[in-house]
Amino acid sequence: MDTIVSAWFPIAVTIVVSALIVGGMVTVNRLLGPRSARNKVKGEAFECGNPPSGSAWNRFSIRFYLTALLFLIFDVEIVFLYPWAVELRELGMVGFVEALIFIAVLVVGLVYAWQRGALDFE
Amino acid sequence: MELGNLASLQAFYPELLLTAATLVIVLIDLLTSDKSWLGEVALISTSGALLLIGVGPLDGGAWLFRRMLVYDSFSIFFRALIALAALVAVWMSIGSQEVRRCEQGEYYSILLASALGMLLMTESANLLMAYLSLEFVSLTSYVLTGILRHNRRSQEAALKYLIYGGVASGTMIYGMSWIFGMAGSLDFMAINRALFATSHIPVLAVFIALVLILSGLGYKVASVPFHMWAPDVYEGAPIPITTFLAVGSKAAGFALMTRFFYPAISHLGPDGNWQPLNQVAWPQLLLVVCIITMTLGNLAALQQQNMKRMLAYSSIAQAGYALMGFVLLSNDGLIAMLVYLFAYYVMDAGAFLVVMIVANLTGSEDISAYRGLAWRRGGALLAISLTIFLLSLTGIPATIGFIGKFYVFAAAIRERFYILAVIGILNSVVSLYYYMRPVKAMFLEQPVDSVSAVTVEYWNYGLMGVLALATIFLGLYPPPIISFASNSLRFFISSS
Repeated sequence: MDTIVSAWFPIAVTIVVSALIVGGMVTVNRLLGPRSARNKVKGEAFECGNPPSGSAWNRFSIRFYLTALLFLIFDVEIVFLYPWAVELRELGMVGFVEALIFIAVLVVGLVYAWQRGALDFE
Repeated sequence: MELGNLASLQAFYPELLLTAATLVIVLIDLLTSDKSWLGEVALISTSGALLLIGVGPLDGGAWLFRRMLVYDSFSIFFRALIALAALVAVWMSIGSQEVRRCEQGEYYSILLASALGMLLMTESANLLMAYLSLEFVSLTSYVLTGILRHNRRSQEAALKYLIYGGVASGTMIYGMSWIFGMAGSLDFMAINRALFATSHIPVLAVFIALVLILSGLGYKVASVPFHMWAPDVYEGAPIPITTFLAVGSKAAGFALMTRFFYPAISHLGPDGNWQPLNQVAWPQLLLVVCIITMTLGNLAALQQQNMKRMLAYSSIAQAGYALMGFVLLSNDGLIAMLVYLFAYYVMDAGAFLVVMIVANLTGSEDISAYRGLAWRRGGALLAISLTIFLLSLTGIPATIGFIGKFYVFAAAIRERFYILAVIGILNSVVSLYYYMRPVKAMFLEQPVDSVSAVTVEYWNYGLMGVLALATIFLGLYPPPIISFASNSLRFFISSS
C-alpha cells in the first residue's frame, strides 16, 4: 500500500496544483474583472488587437498548401543536417557520403517540384 | 549478430534497388516526353528486388542498422510475398487502361515507394521503425488510391482512407507510447525482457496498450472493427492498386502484427507453443475479432453488385481466416497462416486481374457486365479462369485456396479450437453463394451483346495464365509452398 501511495503521490500533487492554478485564475478574474454586458466588440474574433476584416470562410489558393508542404520537407532536412554538421568529424567519410546521398535525394525532389511548377506563384 | 550501418547494406539490396528505381523513374519522367516505357522500368526493378531477396548473411539472421531492422527467414518469406505482390501490381498497371490515363512517372515511383515501405514493415524490430514504415505505406497508399484525378469515386476513396488512416495510426502510436512507458524501450527484444522480468507491470495497462496498437495493425489487415475503409477504397482505387492493397498491404500488416505479438510480447515454449507474457488476454480478444471479421465480411459480401466491392468484403473475410492461424498461439498455426496468405495472394490477385480485364473491355465492374461472358467469342478462357479463382477463394479441393483453408482448419482442430473450426467451415459454405454469383452470370445467363468478340491483350492473358496454373498446380502439389512456409517460421531473437 505504501509503495502505491508513494508512486502515485507526485501525480496527485500535479493534479491538485493544476486545479488550484486554474481555479485561482478563474476566481481572481471574476472578482477583479469588470462586469460588462455582451456587446458587439466583445463578440468579435480576437486578431491580436486589429479589427478583423472579411469572413474566415474564404477560399484561398492551393499554392499555399504546396508551398507549406515543400517548406516542411526542407525544414526537416535542416533538422537532420544540424546534428550531422556538429558530429561530422566523428562520423568521418562514411557519414559525409551518407549525408550527401540524403541531400541528393532531396535535390531530386526539389528539381521535380520545380519542373512541375510547384514553385510558380504566377 | 548485430550489424552496423554499412555492414547492414549487404542484406538490404532489394530495398536499395527499389529506392534507386523510385528516384530514377522520377528523373526519367522529367527528362523524356515518351513515358510509355516507365512501367517496364518499374517491372524490371521489382523483379530485380524479388531476385535479390535471398541475398544476405543467412546464418540464422542478423540485426540490421543497429537493431532497427531484423533479417531472418520470417522476413524473407514476407519480403518475397510483397515483392511478388508489387510485381503483379506493376504488371497489371501496364495492362490497365485506367492507369494509362494518369501520370506515369508519379504512379510508378509512388507504387515502388509503397512496396519499399511494406518491405521495411516486415523487417521492423523496433516500434519506432514499425510506426514509420507503416505510416510510409499509408501515405503512399492514399496517393495511389486517389491517383485517378478526374474520377470522383477515386477522390472520395482517398479522402476516406486518409481520415480513417490518420485516426488509426494516431491511436496506434498512443498505444506504443504506453508500451514505451512500461518497458522503457522501443526495441522488441527489450520490450520482451522488460515484460518477462517484471511482474509489477499491471496487466490491464498492457492490455489497453495492445488494444490501442491493434487499431493501427487491424486497420492495415482490414479486420473488424477497423475494416470500414476497405470497401470504399477497394472500389474507388484503380484495380492494380486495389490488388496491391488487398494482397501486399495486408501481408505487410500480418507480418508486422506477427512480429510484434509473437517474438516481442510472447514467449516460445519448448513444444512450439507460445505463451503471452504477463498472461495478457490478447489471444482471447483476437479470437473474437477473428470470428467477427470472417462472419461480417462474408455476410456483407452476399448483397454486393459491384465485383470490386464484393472482393473487398471477401478480402475482409479472408483476413479473418488468416487470423484463425494467428490466434492459436502455436507454430503450426503460424505456418498455416503463412500458407494461407500465400494462397490468398495467388487467387485474389487472379480474381482482381480478371475484373480488370473485364473493366478494360466493358468499362464496368458490375456483376451484370459478366452476363454470358463464357459464350461470347474469345471469352471462354476468361470465364474459366475467373471460375478457378473464385472456386479457390471458396476453398474447393484441387485449388490452392483449399490447401490454405485445410491447413488453417487443421491447425485449429489440433489446438482443440473446435468451435472456431466449425465457424470457419460454416463461413466457407456461406461464401460459396456469393462467389458463385458471377460464375452463374457468366455461364448460365445470356450475353448482353453477343455480336462483339472479346479481345484481350496477350500481356494480360500471360499473367492470368500463370496465376490460374499456379492456383491449380499448387492446389494439387502443395509441398513447395508448405516447406517454404514451415522453413520460414524462424524469428531471429538472439539477445546478444
